[in-house]
Amino acid sequence: MEEATQALVFFWFAGFLFLVGSLLAFFSKGNAQRKVGMVFVGLGFLSLVTTPWTASSSPSSAFGHLLGSILGPTVLLGVGFYQIAFSGHVPVGRLSSTERRVGVVMVVVGVVWFEAMHWWTLTPTYPDEVNSSWLIFWPTMLLVGFAFACGAYAVVGQIGDRRVKEQRLMIVVAGFLMSLMVLGVTMDGPSLARERFATELLLAAADLFGVFVGMLLAMLLFAVVLFVYESTHVPVHLPPPSKEQLQQAGTIVARNLSGGEDE
Amino acid sequence: MKATNDGRAFVRLGIWFTLPSLLFVLGVWWSTSGSFEAGFVRFVNAMLTSFTLVSFMLLVTLFAYGDARKRPIAPLTGMLMVVGAGIGLTMFFLSQGELLMEDNASVRAQYLSNIVRFATTSAAIVVASVVVGGVLLASLLNTPQKQILFEEE
Repeated sequence: MEEATQALVFFWFAGFLFLVGSLLAFFSKGNAQRKVGMVFVGLGFLSLVTTPWTASSSPSSAFGHLLGSILGPTVLLGVGFYQIAFSGHVPVGRLSSTERRVGVVMVVVGVVWFEAMHWWTLTPTYPDEVNSSWLIFWPTMLLVGFAFACGAYAVVGQIGDRRVKEQRLMIVVAGFLMSLMVLGVTMDGPSLARERFATELLLAAADLFGVFVGMLLAMLLFAVVLFVYESTHVPVHLPPPSKEQLQQAGTIVARNLSGGEDE
Repeated sequence: MKATNDGRAFVRLGIWFTLPSLLFVLGVWWSTSGSFEAGFVRFVNAMLTSFTLVSFMLLVTLFAYGDARKRPIAPLTGMLMVVGAGIGLTMFFLSQGELLMEDNASVRAQYLSNIVRFATTSAAIVVASVVVGGVLLASLLNTPQKQILFEEE
């Protein structure tokens, strides 16, 4: 198979399958369609993750390599938080305290794993240098996490009552993520210099701002398209009922309101 | 929700989401004297890519909308035009010499690189949501339930 065809089939078609599958799984009403969507997601993801082998000549395969690299710590974090959360005060299906401890260990290992990818030798390397997708992913993740933690601090204060503990926790998370960014900007890592990290951090900020503005514009136009369609299909106004029609309606209502005799 | 003005609360949330990150990024930019031009090119590329891809996703969701509204063709056509406009604008700006080109040799390579970058950013947003949402959910569900104490009459 030609190199371009390999990239088209194993990366771009797989990505399209993943996207369509996700939309089907989220927005379909039927169970069968949802299952088909989940199968598409699984197949697409598998094909993307294996692109370092199936479409190794394509520069896009760096993204597949990144997905494979972050799969482990992400799953550990996701499952770990699930174990901790659902061993708490939930009315049904509460997990045991052992599962809670396992969850804590999984979260700690997930965080350490991610840190080792920046500060130790676990940095994703593809093919011979630091994976270009990792250089985008890591600063973006830290910056978004920081913004989310700050936002969550305000949301918890706004919605909840007596949520000081959660607010403090969000400050801790935001502080932790910010300190990681400050360390990245001020200290060289084993495979990533501080200047490069700072440049990537600034590009990540520009990227996020662009993504946000583009998304807002698309949603605005979507709303305009739907509004125009709905406003051009207003139901036809009917004339008010005549006296005879009102009288007829009154008779029918009176007949049904009187009821029968008790048996 | 507390008895505050909804609009003001929304603005306050927006400020909390954006301002600390913005200040931090400005601080890094000031201390490292980063390139404004490279950032601007990245911003425009990201905006055009995000606009096109999100419009496409919204176009797909119109099929679900169509189920409830006797499958109208008008919004579908409208969104197709929006997606087409996004692709056309991106191609137009990319083909204007070095205006929006980054480290790529051709317009097609830049466009595909933009999509991969968008996917990477999306992955970063998902992982960040797992971290912050996970911490918050774990804390909320491990807080002792509030008890209502009734005074003896």
